[in-house]
Amino acid sequence: MRLQLAPLVLVALVASAAAEDRAEVSTSLFAEKREGGKGGLTVIHPQALFGVDLGRFVSLDLDYAADAVSGATQAIYQADAISMATTFKDVRHEGTVGLGFHGRRSRVSFSGTFGTERDYISRSVGGDASIDLPGRNTTVGLAYSHGFDQVCDKDNGMLTPLESKALVGDDNCNKGKVFYGTDTPGTTVWKDLSIDTAQTTLTQNLSPTMNLQIALFGQIQEGFQSNPYRRVKIGTNAPQEHIPDTRARWSLSAHMKKFFPVMKAAAHIEARFYDDTWGVLGGNVELGWSQYFGKNLLIRFYGRIYQQQAATFFKDAFFYETEATAGEYFTGDRELSPVRDVSIGSKLTIITIGEDHPVWGLFDKLQLNVRGDLMFLSVLANDATSENPIGVDKQFIYGGSLIDSVGLSLGLLGNY
Amino acid sequence: MHALFVVIVLAALAAVGCGRQAVRASEKQFLADQVMTFDDDPHDTSASDHVRTNREGAAGGHGAGGGGCGCN
Repeated sequence: MRLQLAPLVLVALVASAAAEDRAEVSTSLFAEKREGGKGGLTVIHPQALFGVDLGRFVSLDLDYAADAVSGATQAIYQADAISMATTFKDVRHEGTVGLGFHGRRSRVSFSGTFGTERDYISRSVGGDASIDLPGRNTTVGLAYSHGFDQVCDKDNGMLTPLESKALVGDDNCNKGKVFYGTDTPGTTVWKDLSIDTAQTTLTQNLSPTMNLQIALFGQIQEGFQSNPYRRVKIGTNAPQEHIPDTRARWSLSAHMKKFFPVMKAAAHIEARFYDDTWGVLGGNVELGWSQYFGKNLLIRFYGRIYQQQAATFFKDAFFYETEATAGEYFTGDRELSPVRDVSIGSKLTIITIGEDHPVWGLFDKLQLNVRGDLMFLSVLANDATSENPIGVDKQFIYGGSLIDSVGLSLGLLGNY
Repeated sequence: MHALFVVIVLAALAAVGCGRQAVRASEKQFLADQVMTFDDDPHDTSASDHVRTNREGAAGGHGAGGGGCGCN
């Protein structure tokens, strides 16, 4: 299964910009309900980071993350996909090395990331820079990364998209050169995907208790972007999904925080608008409240709602089956369908500061984080429901119940 | 959905416009608190984004770390 990594590269870059002497380990668990009697989907995501200052002006970060994914997946996108659910397992490993240079009012950092899983190789390099403008109330940041990934696909030779076969779990995706995939003629080929990502941020102190961040994000993906395993039922055939090679996307977000000294609490609101060349138009709003209880306990509550409209080439499965594709392309990707989701959650942080003696003899500050999320998902109809006698309830194998997934995470962060 | 874009732009402009010209260093006690830092837990953010990018088509653009005290 291809796990999407591209947006995380920029997060890794930004994380490296905040480097200081620190060590962090965390593990998160994500469990999603799926229909079809094959069980749910479970993702276990451990992470570890070690950051150290090399002198006054240089810092080094080493970051590792993994994904262990298992559970049910959708074999064919069709009006009744639930009966065709299958199971799978996959493990991804990813490592990042970051080098940061810090000045009095500015910082620059560079990083490289390599990730590998059975059918996907990700490689990226990037850099970011930020500077405090005079007065130190305004910070401007820039980040850029270039990813040159490879995706394992079925070797379909000269077959047309409507004849193409999908990759299956038994197909050999050979990584003979470790960092590069090696084709197995007649069985599998590795296809390139380049990802260029840029982001600029403006962070502004508005008052002694309020600040604002505005972020403008852009990304261009060029290359093979289909899920090689996914099939779409078109008429009586079920060829491999076929989506465009080029996608340009951008988003604008604003994030504001307000501290309430008397209550020892802070509120935040975030709004984001998203648009891309595939026709996906979306946005989300998040509200949160962070409350201190004494010096050592911090509890945060948050809620988020997200909605998007479908890609122009997405159709409800019934119409792919009974009519035709919407132009050249066809997909059964839930991420490209009309979707609304809501999530609520809470995060508890226990803070221990070594005032006289280091915590555990090593740390100046130690934080234990425990987080829990509940997610609710609504799959919306894309096409006329009055002309769809089967409906859209069974075209995906996800979330037939009110709560479709839960997330739990546990993390320990130490500064030394 | 385009209304959300307009609201974000107008709200951001209004907020910046209403902001004081300068917050003195001695006034940054609350801005330096970890709850006022944008993305104060990058690991947590990356885990959440990881889940969302497999459920939502609109990836990326959540901003960056830093902020708060404005002390790079």
